[in-house]
Amino acid sequence: MSTLSSLFSLLIFPTGLTLIFTGMFFEWIDRKLVARFQNRVGPRWFQPFADMVKLFAKEQIVPGLAGPFLFFVLPVVAIAGALTSALYVPFLGMKPVHSFAGDLIVTIYLLSLLTMCIGLAGWNTSSRFSLVGSTRALTQMFAYEAPFLLALLGPALVAGSWQISEINLYAQSHWIVFTQPVGFIVALIGLMGKLELPPFDSPEAETEIVAGALTEYSGRGLAIFKLGKSIELIVGITLVSAFYLGGVSGILPFLVKTLVVLLMMTLLQTLLTRLRIDQTVGLWWRFGAILVLAQILLIIILRGYVL
Amino acid sequence: MKNIEQNLQNAEGLLAGLNREAVHPEPNRLDIVVAVDDLRPAVKALQDAHWGYLSAITGMDLGAESGQIEALYHFCYGAAVTTLRVRQSRDGQSVLPTIEDIIPPASFFERELQEMLGFHITGAKTSDRLFISDDWPEEVYPLRKDFNISQAAPVEGRHADELPEEGVIRGSTFVVPIGPQHPALKEPGHFEFTVDGEIITAARMRLGYAHRGIEKAAESRNWIQNLYLFERVCGICSHTHAMAYSMGVEQLAHVEAPPRANAIRELVAGLERIHSHLLWLGVAAHEAGFDTLFMYSWRDRETVMNLLEQITGNRVNYSANVLGGVKCEITLEQAKAIKEGLIFLEQRIRHYLEVVTTDAMFLNRTRNVGTISFEEAERFGLLGPTARASGLVRDVRVEAPYGAYVQFPISAVTETNGDLEARCVVRLNELLVSCFAIRTIVDNLPAGPLTVKMPRKIPAGETVSRVEAPRGELFYFIKSEGGERPARVHVRTPSLCNWVSVLEKAVGRQLADAPMLIAGMDPCFSCNDRLVTITGTAGRRTWSWSQLREYGIEHYK
Repeated sequence: MSTLSSLFSLLIFPTGLTLIFTGMFFEWIDRKLVARFQNRVGPRWFQPFADMVKLFAKEQIVPGLAGPFLFFVLPVVAIAGALTSALYVPFLGMKPVHSFAGDLIVTIYLLSLLTMCIGLAGWNTSSRFSLVGSTRALTQMFAYEAPFLLALLGPALVAGSWQISEINLYAQSHWIVFTQPVGFIVALIGLMGKLELPPFDSPEAETEIVAGALTEYSGRGLAIFKLGKSIELIVGITLVSAFYLGGVSGILPFLVKTLVVLLMMTLLQTLLTRLRIDQTVGLWWRFGAILVLAQILLIIILRGYVL
Repeated sequence: MKNIEQNLQNAEGLLAGLNREAVHPEPNRLDIVVAVDDLRPAVKALQDAHWGYLSAITGMDLGAESGQIEALYHFCYGAAVTTLRVRQSRDGQSVLPTIEDIIPPASFFERELQEMLGFHITGAKTSDRLFISDDWPEEVYPLRKDFNISQAAPVEGRHADELPEEGVIRGSTFVVPIGPQHPALKEPGHFEFTVDGEIITAARMRLGYAHRGIEKAAESRNWIQNLYLFERVCGICSHTHAMAYSMGVEQLAHVEAPPRANAIRELVAGLERIHSHLLWLGVAAHEAGFDTLFMYSWRDRETVMNLLEQITGNRVNYSANVLGGVKCEITLEQAKAIKEGLIFLEQRIRHYLEVVTTDAMFLNRTRNVGTISFEEAERFGLLGPTARASGLVRDVRVEAPYGAYVQFPISAVTETNGDLEARCVVRLNELLVSCFAIRTIVDNLPAGPLTVKMPRKIPAGETVSRVEAPRGELFYFIKSEGGERPARVHVRTPSLCNWVSVLEKAVGRQLADAPMLIAGMDPCFSCNDRLVTITGTAGRRTWSWSQLREYGIEHYK
């Protein structure tokens, strides 16, 4: 019986299918809002779902120079990483399915897996555009990853735990966004970097390198990568809102808070021009990392006095 | 007028020792025949004296009877045009020395001569094909009078488009190809950027993917049919093409279009400029990754597209011109609509001007990127807004006012920085000037007829017709032999002169800047490419016009 219920919670609710559909729903909101801000009509509500159905039904072409094994395995690893990471976050405001001390680090690692898979996938297909794209994707990862991690460590430090569920609990009585505004901004922008959303979309800048690392992907492979991204979008947003916006408990606060974060992200996407890769790296290391480091130091020092 | 005479006298003085015969075919033109050996000294003399700039090189086949082919080097200085004419025997080697070391953009003109007419250019750095397709047979030149389509059967095995090994070509360099099919280019051009990491170390380009043989086709159509043919050279600046052609034919026929027609021509040209530049702004913003600006500027562009549709009935090829005038009237109602539209457009253009000069993120991608100094602009022979952004006044409307630009003059807009930001600013400021001019024209539209009668046969002669297109000077050379058809029409579009700015400036920049640099000169590929090769299931073949026409009719039935 317990196996059955674990399977249910793994595959159907709250993670698994529910997660995938919520991910697509959030992707739709993102696309629709950006479209409306840009004075376009935007897609209908089932568009991300229709895209998936179409892509899964399409032929998958394996380029001649690509290693076939990695070509098929990488998308699966990527989506597995994204799906697993969802087990540790308070998705839909519920208690995480799994939880242990230090799961924050595991979740962040699992979230990076997608980017690494995309980078490797680009390298593996060895098309010129995907090579440039994967170099950029990995370069960008080294730029935002550390600041993003530090930005999530801030709340962990004040909560005194590296367990997501406990930080969430602590956050419910403390709006950390007001005490650590820098961390919030860095986490938000870091998330956009992770998801390669504009202005951090130089790894897939269509006007230079077509679709970047995923240029040669079609059909199923592409669909899985895309799904992985949608899932990462929702997991990332959940983490940021749980840590900074007073925690998430219950489905209504979850929706309100995550949608607020998503709204902020769409606004930034609309307003900003794509950064060149050197500008992205410069931005993170010159401002992002230093600011968030300073904040962490401040927290450590203050805590030292208080305790 | 005095100025023109003075300038022509100066040119004659400069070329005193070199000319064999000099004539003035038209008041503003000096036509000098020079020997092949004197060509380089003559070009150098004009260049060193800063006598204008090389505007175009026209190649002409005089036919089997005369046994000669000619190359005409047109230099323009204000309204004055000096043409250096070099005659060569038609049979055997027609050798021309290259002048690309003196004037860099001449390289593009010379390659056209070589591919289309079979001149052998000695000393040129490259003889790669630029326009003509790779499987085109050797020693077959489409613009020769005795060219026959049967000669042009594709040569098997002469494909340069086969892909080099993925990622690595020519030793250890890494080449990123952009085009002919690429999301950054909506038109078919091919660029090869050799990169070291993200830094571009070499750039190469190839054109002609949509070469339609319009110049050749013109020789088999009558004067009126050609008007509609040339209008289709470019879908963005169709009006300026039709205008340049009809003005040229009118000059040859010694007919003057009525003032009202000229004013309406300028008015439509002004509206076309607004549509073209707003389109460009959107493309440039998209290349930079600022899609919001792209969507907004294209939304606002609809206003001017609707105005054009209201006036002419068409959105793309307006066909406002006829030989001897225009065919569309501006009614009171339309005048009102234009004025209302302009109020909105002006307000939006001011807003975009503010965006491109203040948006920090967009400036990251435009400020100090691809900077071209005044001297470089002059050396590269840049035209239009690209030149004006570097402070070089190259604007036919100002330098050599034609048609209604005499009565409704416009002022030249320049910037000094020469970077991409300056090119945005120049183009947008130009629109404000255009709006002002359009308003003045609508308020003071001269009364009178719209057209004058044109003869069916145009008297023999040659003429040069220059018009400022949105992208720069558009150059038409038209030759009539007194018949119902032109003997030769040569079109030199502004984009061809501006390529040098991309190829020279991309080296040393980041790959991410390359699309921006290409967009920065507002390239128009269809203008550059004017024979069609269709690759279908039946393999490659070259089609004649009539076959192409039949195919088109069948296809769209």
